Amino acid sequence: MAHIALATGFLLFLIGLYGALTNRNLLRMIVAFTVADAGINVVIVAVGHMRGRTAPILDGAVPAAEAASRIIDPVPQALVLTAIVIGVGITALMLAYAYKLYEARRSLDIGKFMELKW
Amino acid sequence: MVSPLVLIAAPLAGAFLLGLVRCPRAALAVTLATLGLAAAAAGWWVWQLGWAGAEAVEVFTAGTPPPFAIALRMGLPEAALTLVITLTGLLSALHMQDNLAETGHRAMAVLLVAVMAYCGIVLTRDLFNLFVFFELAAIATAGLILLSADARALGAGFKYLVVSQVISALLLIGIIFTYHATGTLYLDGIAAAAAKPALAFFLVFIAIAAELKPFPANGWALDVYESSHPAFSALISAAAGAASLYAADKLLTVGGPAWLPAATAIGIVTFVAGNLLALPQGNDRRLLGYSSVAQIGLVLAVAGQRDVLGEHYHFVAFGLLASHAVAKAGLFWLSGMVAERGLAAWAALRARPPLIFAFATFVAMLAGLPPFPGFYAKWELVRVLAAEGRLVLLGLILFGALLEAGYLFRWFGFALKREPSGEGLACAPSKGIPVLAAVLAAWGLAWQWGDASAQANLLLGLPLLFALAFVLLDWLPAWVKNTLAIAGLAAWFALTLGQYDPLRLIFAVIMLAGGAVTLLASYHAHGRRIGFYPSAMLMYAGLAQLILAADTFSFFAAWEILTVGSYFLILRGRHSEPHALSYIVFSLGGAFLILAGFAVAADGAASFAVADLATLAAPVAPWVFLMLAIGFMTKTASIGLHVWLPGAHAEAETDVSPMVSGILLKAGLFGLAVLLLAMGRQKLGGIDLTLAMLWIGAASALLGNLMAIFQEDAKRLLAYSSIGQMGYALFGLAMMNHLGWLMALMFVINHYIYKSMLFLAVGGVAKRTGTRDMYRMGGLINLMPLSFISVLVGIIAMSGVPPLSGFGGRWIFYNALLTAESRLPMILIFFSGPIAFLYLFRLIHTIFLGQLKDEHRRVKEAPFWLMVPQMIYVVLLIAFALVPGVALRQVDGHLGGLLPAGGLSWDGLTITSDFGYWNPVAIMVIVGIIFTTLFLWLVFVNRRAQKVKQFNIVFAAERPFRPETTHFAWNFFAPYRKALGFLVQPVATGFWNGISGGLHAGADFTRRLYTGNAQTYAVHLLVFVVAVHLFMTGM
Repeated sequence: MAHIALATGFLLFLIGLYGALTNRNLLRMIVAFTVADAGINVVIVAVGHMRGRTAPILDGAVPAAEAASRIIDPVPQALVLTAIVIGVGITALMLAYAYKLYEARRSLDIGKFMELKW
Repeated sequence: MVSPLVLIAAPLAGAFLLGLVRCPRAALAVTLATLGLAAAAAGWWVWQLGWAGAEAVEVFTAGTPPPFAIALRMGLPEAALTLVITLTGLLSALHMQDNLAETGHRAMAVLLVAVMAYCGIVLTRDLFNLFVFFELAAIATAGLILLSADARALGAGFKYLVVSQVISALLLIGIIFTYHATGTLYLDGIAAAAAKPALAFFLVFIAIAAELKPFPANGWALDVYESSHPAFSALISAAAGAASLYAADKLLTVGGPAWLPAATAIGIVTFVAGNLLALPQGNDRRLLGYSSVAQIGLVLAVAGQRDVLGEHYHFVAFGLLASHAVAKAGLFWLSGMVAERGLAAWAALRARPPLIFAFATFVAMLAGLPPFPGFYAKWELVRVLAAEGRLVLLGLILFGALLEAGYLFRWFGFALKREPSGEGLACAPSKGIPVLAAVLAAWGLAWQWGDASAQANLLLGLPLLFALAFVLLDWLPAWVKNTLAIAGLAAWFALTLGQYDPLRLIFAVIMLAGGAVTLLASYHAHGRRIGFYPSAMLMYAGLAQLILAADTFSFFAAWEILTVGSYFLILRGRHSEPHALSYIVFSLGGAFLILAGFAVAADGAASFAVADLATLAAPVAPWVFLMLAIGFMTKTASIGLHVWLPGAHAEAETDVSPMVSGILLKAGLFGLAVLLLAMGRQKLGGIDLTLAMLWIGAASALLGNLMAIFQEDAKRLLAYSSIGQMGYALFGLAMMNHLGWLMALMFVINHYIYKSMLFLAVGGVAKRTGTRDMYRMGGLINLMPLSFISVLVGIIAMSGVPPLSGFGGRWIFYNALLTAESRLPMILIFFSGPIAFLYLFRLIHTIFLGQLKDEHRRVKEAPFWLMVPQMIYVVLLIAFALVPGVALRQVDGHLGGLLPAGGLSWDGLTITSDFGYWNPVAIMVIVGIIFTTLFLWLVFVNRRAQKVKQFNIVFAAERPFRPETTHFAWNFFAPYRKALGFLVQPVATGFWNGISGGLHAGADFTRRLYTGNAQTYAVHLLVFVVAVHLFMTGM
């Protein structure tokens, strides 16, 4: 199960990366990056998964004394939450940029924004 | 006790507070106060850890130790870096306060978050936390890029976001697999883990390395630097650069020695490529971007050498980093004051001399010149690398540094010499204060690094302090400063008189006492003459320290100080911009060779006496000799390395030419004398190196003189003649026998006197006639009789005919030649004697004799103060001709102890060698009698001669289109040019131009790599990752 998730995650990441590097449209690039982000998040969760354990919530079902042997590692899950939040922030920022760029040039073609070079 | 958390909490609190403030001015006050508070906290920690003896602390955010909570560490490196970050943030906020106030409190909040994120990157010990702070920094950066007025910044910001997406993906994948393998995110825990996941850690490492903008994955960074608000660029360059470097350093500590070669390779490639690609840049901010990239690469390369640097690692790395941060931030802030973006637009700074001083400070600091931290750091670095045998890296570092110095000083030359355009400067106090703060920080750090260095603190050197005092005294009128300068030189000479052996005394007399005499000519200048005295005294300070230097460090420091001082001095000439540049590039190239030579010689020893060069043995010794000799020969302008001299000396100001010719060239001879005395004859691959020097000396003498005879410009003629004269001196030293040395020292004295005199005389004539072309002059003998006398005396002395001191030089010279072993160079040097006659003759013939030009009819004698030193020189020449023993006898005795065979015997007024004797007084008397007899006879036979006025004859026809072609003195030696012209083809100039042109063309081609397309940049990044991986897995 974990291997499938891991493979899916990497596949999504590579698809996203490929999309971001080959699409010339700004919006498509941004969408591709979110796909890549999602792939990475899947990878993180998959790495943290441990077979046969339960969610890391300490309540009546999982007493604190047995927690260490019964729950899965909570750290990757905490990480993935943070990564998702950051990803949303960056995506929002990129969209804002795309909007501004479109306003300035009336175009979403990445090839139109090459005046800074060399 | 201030908690390190203040550095995170205060900006956050400030940012939240900003949400409640509506008035832009109040919001600005909150922002500045917050940053000030953070800077104070960081400063307090620097004080506690650096001076008050506190220990480094770790703060656990949730009160539990890692891995259950995030740890922050505050040690001295962290404190210093957070101080750099917060101060840069504060000053940048001040600099762009108008933009911030205009954009509103949101922009200020983003700025606070950026500063907080940089501090967090430095403080955190947790890998994932590092990621979070990097992402925060990325988001804040993308926001702050939009502060710029430049519309292109929008595109740059998007490119930045695209690349940072790829970087953060790599980082995240790396982090999660590192965690998976080691079970912890605490950096020290990862370091202690038994099994380190190589690939996962590689991804983390490469992501952090990519944040450092390595070549070629840095196109986005250059676009950001070019288009952002300069105050924000300052923040990226200084603060973000420092923070990312420290993150890389932490990772290298965790990863262990296996990762060091990769860091070194990435760093050095970036350093050289960044500096190379900076060469063809025309936009100041993009140039600074390239330079930033390069400097950070250098520090990364140093981080990769931490295994060999050992205890010096922090001294070196932080020295370079501090130089970069302060100077680059200062330059970006200056760029914010200059209205236009071309490099030449910086000429606008001339309206405010303190800003020029700031610019000079930053350029010197970046180029690693004394007394700034980069200088000490470079010295230690080169010393260690040489001792470890990492010579390729050493060579690349010095090559990159030379490229960097090249474009920085070219830019500085533009600022000083180009015409300022109309737009001018934005000089609000809020823009000036950050620059001033950076200047103060630069000098403060210079003091600090000197203090912490194992070597002497250069800022304690009295001559250097004296020179720097003139920066503060520059508001005084020129004559007051001139008096102070002369008094200073004389006082220092008197103070140190007891410390010189006879050999050094000769140089001391010329450089210090002679310098004071030359300065008399500077009384002719009116006004304040801003910038002249700091530069001149810097050169004299270097010279004064050079002849007293006992160890290689002080020798090299003095060498660089005199180089920089003389560069500023030469640059003052009206048309000297390109010549000053080639002077500084050649000089620094030579200086780097000297540095490398000293480092190889020291073989790791912390301090190495110059005299200990004698203890070196093969196979090291010949290489050290070679590097040092070439280094010194750049200063004596030996043939092949001479191309900077003619322009630099000819275009310099009237009273500067004698300083840089008569005095400065002797520094090179002094270096050669010291070198030859210590190391003597060296053989490299069967070639006797002193014999090679002998040949170079002979060729310099011949070709220098030959080139001099074809000059039309009188000052250029004198400049070329210096190449020839230095060739004689080099030849004499390389003969390595008693008489050869005596002859060289005789040339040292004579050349100082007559070349200073001739430069002043010709300079005076040029000042009065408004031209330096000899064919435009003529008949000035009646109008400028005193100048005529000094030129006449000068050329008699220089050509070596009796009775003046030049003859003494020749006499010793011929005696020395008879003892020389090599015949062919001897013949060459014989030939160059008569050639000297040809050009010297023109000085009298074309300038003072012949027909007076119409436009010069009202010309007056040269200014009084230019004549005073000349008349002193006339007296000196005659005195030295009469009693050469006063100076030479001591030296002769001293040389007897060093090179025993073949001394002279000094008996009363007669000097006897193995081949004959010389009685200066008798010769003077005989020549006097002959001259008087002939003169009286001429007067007698010409008593009936009729005086003819100039206009007794009639000028026919009209003035031709190019009057010089009909002037008899134009192309005077055309027949010789036909016969010997092939010898004076500008081969060396062509060679060096070819190298420079090749570098520029290569850089111009390579920089097209940066297409400006965000996707291309992302591909560069991926290619970079793959390339580094291949490199690491043992390609």
